[in-house]
Amino acid sequence: MFKLIKATFLGLIAMAFTASSYAEITFVSWGGAYTNSQQKAYIDTWSKGSGVTVESYNGGLGEIKAQVEAGNVTWDVVDVLPDQAITGCDEGLFAKVDQSSFINDMVVPPVSDCVVPQIFWAYTAFYSKSAFPGKKPKNIKDFFNVKKFPGKRGIHTWANALIEMALVADGVKASKVYDVMSTPEGIDRAFAKLDTIKDHVVFWSAGSKPLELVSSGEVVMALAYNGRIGAAVLSEGKDFEYIWDATVLEQEYLVAIKGGNEKEALEFMAHASTAQALADQAKYIPYGPMRKSSIDIIKKGEPWFIKEGGNIDILPHMPTAPKVLKRAVIADPVWWADNGAEVSERFGAWKGN
Amino acid sequence: MNETTAGSILTTEGIPLKVSLQKAERRNKIRAILLVAPLLLFILFTFLIPIGDMLLRSVDDSYINTVFPKTFKEYKKWDRQDLPSEELYKTMFFEVKDSEGYAIGKASTRMNYAKSGWKSLLKKSKRKFKKIEEGPYKEQMIAIDKKWADMEYWKALGVMVDATTAGYYLNAVDLKYNVDKEVVRQKENRRIYNHTWVKTFKVSILVMIFCLMLGYPISYLLSTLPLKYSNLLMICVLLPFWTSLLVRTVAWMVMLQQKGVFNNLLVMSNIIADENRFKLMYNETATIIVMTQILLPFMVLPLYSVMKTISPNYMRAALNLGASPLHAFWKIYMPNSVPGISAGCMLVFILAIGYYITPELVGGKDGQMIGNWIAYHLKTTLNWGLSAALGAILLGVLTVLYWVYNKLVGIENIKLG
Repeated sequence: MFKLIKATFLGLIAMAFTASSYAEITFVSWGGAYTNSQQKAYIDTWSKGSGVTVESYNGGLGEIKAQVEAGNVTWDVVDVLPDQAITGCDEGLFAKVDQSSFINDMVVPPVSDCVVPQIFWAYTAFYSKSAFPGKKPKNIKDFFNVKKFPGKRGIHTWANALIEMALVADGVKASKVYDVMSTPEGIDRAFAKLDTIKDHVVFWSAGSKPLELVSSGEVVMALAYNGRIGAAVLSEGKDFEYIWDATVLEQEYLVAIKGGNEKEALEFMAHASTAQALADQAKYIPYGPMRKSSIDIIKKGEPWFIKEGGNIDILPHMPTAPKVLKRAVIADPVWWADNGAEVSERFGAWKGN
Repeated sequence: MNETTAGSILTTEGIPLKVSLQKAERRNKIRAILLVAPLLLFILFTFLIPIGDMLLRSVDDSYINTVFPKTFKEYKKWDRQDLPSEELYKTMFFEVKDSEGYAIGKASTRMNYAKSGWKSLLKKSKRKFKKIEEGPYKEQMIAIDKKWADMEYWKALGVMVDATTAGYYLNAVDLKYNVDKEVVRQKENRRIYNHTWVKTFKVSILVMIFCLMLGYPISYLLSTLPLKYSNLLMICVLLPFWTSLLVRTVAWMVMLQQKGVFNNLLVMSNIIADENRFKLMYNETATIIVMTQILLPFMVLPLYSVMKTISPNYMRAALNLGASPLHAFWKIYMPNSVPGISAGCMLVFILAIGYYITPELVGGKDGQMIGNWIAYHLKTTLNWGLSAALGAILLGVLTVLYWVYNKLVGIENIKLG
C-alpha cells in the first residue's frame, strides 16, 4: 500500500515536472477572421503544453527586430509575409526549420529556410452586382477603364500589387510582369497607368474597408483581400462578384523567433503546417493552402466550407483555383525585398502630389 | 548659553551653527534625491537612453564597415571611371564568401538603402560563391550575376565607407549623396519628405487653431456655469476622451463619407442635390475635422482649469469701471487665460504632429504624415537610421519652437491648472 502511494506520488511529481517544463508559446498573427481560422484549424487541436496565447500585430519586422536585439523575446511563432520571411531569416531573427516533411508537397518552393507553409491569399478586384445592371467588368483592363465603367475605385494605400495590376492592365502578360518591373521604364509605365485612375480612386488601409466602400456605393469597384470578399459572400450573402484577372497572389508563412521558446515553437509549427491542418483552415476562410495534398483533401471533402444550414463548395472561391491561377500574377517577394522601399517612396510621392 | 567665538555662533552642542545648518540641509538634500531617484532612474532608462540610442542610430554607419573592412580599404583606391580592378573584386569575393552567421544578411539590408538590388545580389552571391575555388574572380562573379558588372552598384558603396554618415538626414529632407559624395537633390519622383513635412506642420497648426476656436467658448461656459450643469457638460467633454481612438475615427467615417449620414441628411432635406454631395472624407479636410475632435479635450481641460481660477470679480470690476463687455474681455479675461491657451496649444500641437493612424484611415491620398513614414521605415524596411533621422528632426523642430515660445511668452506662463 505504501509503495503504491509512493509510486503514485512520484508519478504525479514527474507529470507535474514534464507539464511545467513545457513552455507556453505566444502565437502572433493578423487578427480577425484569419486568426479565427487558425485558432479553429490548429491552435484548438494543439494538445501539447499548457497552451497558446494569441496576439495580433500589423505586420512588419520592427517589433521582432527590437525584441531580438534587446534579448527580450516575447513572441514565439509569428505569421509573416514572404519578403519579411526572407529579410528576417537573412538577418538572423528567425530560427531555421527542418523542411523535409513538406518541401516536395508545396505549390511553390518556400522563400527561405526559416518558414513553414500556410496559405496563398490574393489582392483581387471585385464589384457589387447591383452597381452594374448592364455590362459587367470582366478583367483588370475594365478596372482601369473609367470611361467604359464610370465611377470610383477603391485601392489600398501602399504600392504592392498595384504596380503589377497596372502593368497587366497596360497589356503586359501576367507571367512577364516582373521582367518589366525590373527596368526603370517598366515602373514609369506602371505609374503612367495608375495616373489614368488617380482622380477616381478612394484609398483604403484597413482590410474591411473596401467591402464597406463597395456596399455603401461609395465606389463601384475595389481591390481587396480575396478572403474578405469570400467571407462576405459566403457568410453574409453579399452580392459581390470577383474579377478573377491579374489577381496578385501573395504567400503567408509561419516562423519561429530566435531566442523565444524555439523548441515548442518548432513543434507547434510542424503541427500547424500538416496537410490536414491547412485543409482544415479552409473550412473557415477561403484562402488557398500552400500544400498540394491539402487541396486533394479539400477536393474529396467538398462541400468543405462550414456554414449553418449546409456547407458550401470552397474551391471556386480560392485564389489558387486552376482557372484563376492561369490569369494570376504570383507576387515575387525577392523583387519586393530589393525594391520595396524605393517604389513605396515613389508611390507616396505619386499619391501626395 | 551660546558663546560667540571669533564671529561664529555655536549650537548647544558646541558645533558652529553654520556647520550644523549645512549638515541638516545636506540631509534634506539627500532625502530629496532619494525620493526622486526612482523616477529619475525610470526616466533615464525608459526615455533618455532610448532617445540617445535613436539619435546615435541616425548617424551611425559602422556596422557595414565591420563586414567589409578590406573591401572598403581597397575601394578607396578605385578611380570610379571604369569597373574596379580584379583586386577589389577579389577582396569583395572573400569577404562575402568567408563571412560568418548573419553578417551578410544585415549588411545587405543596409546596402539596399543605397541602391535597390544589393539585397538579392548578395544573397545569391553568398550561395554561389561557395562553388568557386580559384581566380580570376571578376569574370566568375559577373557570370553569377551581371549586376556585378554594373557601375551603379560599385559607386553606391562609396557613401558607406565612413563609419558615420549624414546620409539619413539628407534622405529625410529629399537630398542624397551622389556617387562622389556630393549632396544633391533626390530624384524627382522620389521626393516625398519635404512635401510631407510641410503637410504635417500645416495640419498640426490648423488642428491647433480649430481646437482653440472650439475649445475656448466651451471652457468658458464650463467654468462659469453652476456646478451641477458644468459637471454634466464636463462628462460630455470627457466621454469621447475615454472612447477608443479607432471607434471615434470609424464613427466619423460613417458620418462624413459621400453616402454617409451628413450628406444624406443634406440631400434628404433638399439643401444640396444628389450629385453635389460634399467630399468630406478621405482627404485633408477629413484629417483636420477628425483630429480636431479627437484632440479637443486636450485643449478644453487646461483651459478650463485655468479659467476656473479667474475670479469673476475682475470682469465685474472692469464693467463697473465703464468698459464695454468686449473690451473688458479683451483687456482682462483674455490675458488671464493665456497660461491655459499656451498649455492647450502646446499639448494639441505636439500630439498632432506625431499623429499617423487617424490620418492614414481618414486622409485618403493626403493621409500620409511624417509619423506614417517613421512607422513605415521602422516596421517594413527596417531602415531605423532614416526613422531616427526623421524623429530627430521632429524633436529638433519642437525644441526650437519651445525655445521661441519661451522667448516670446515665457515658459513660466504655462499652466495646466
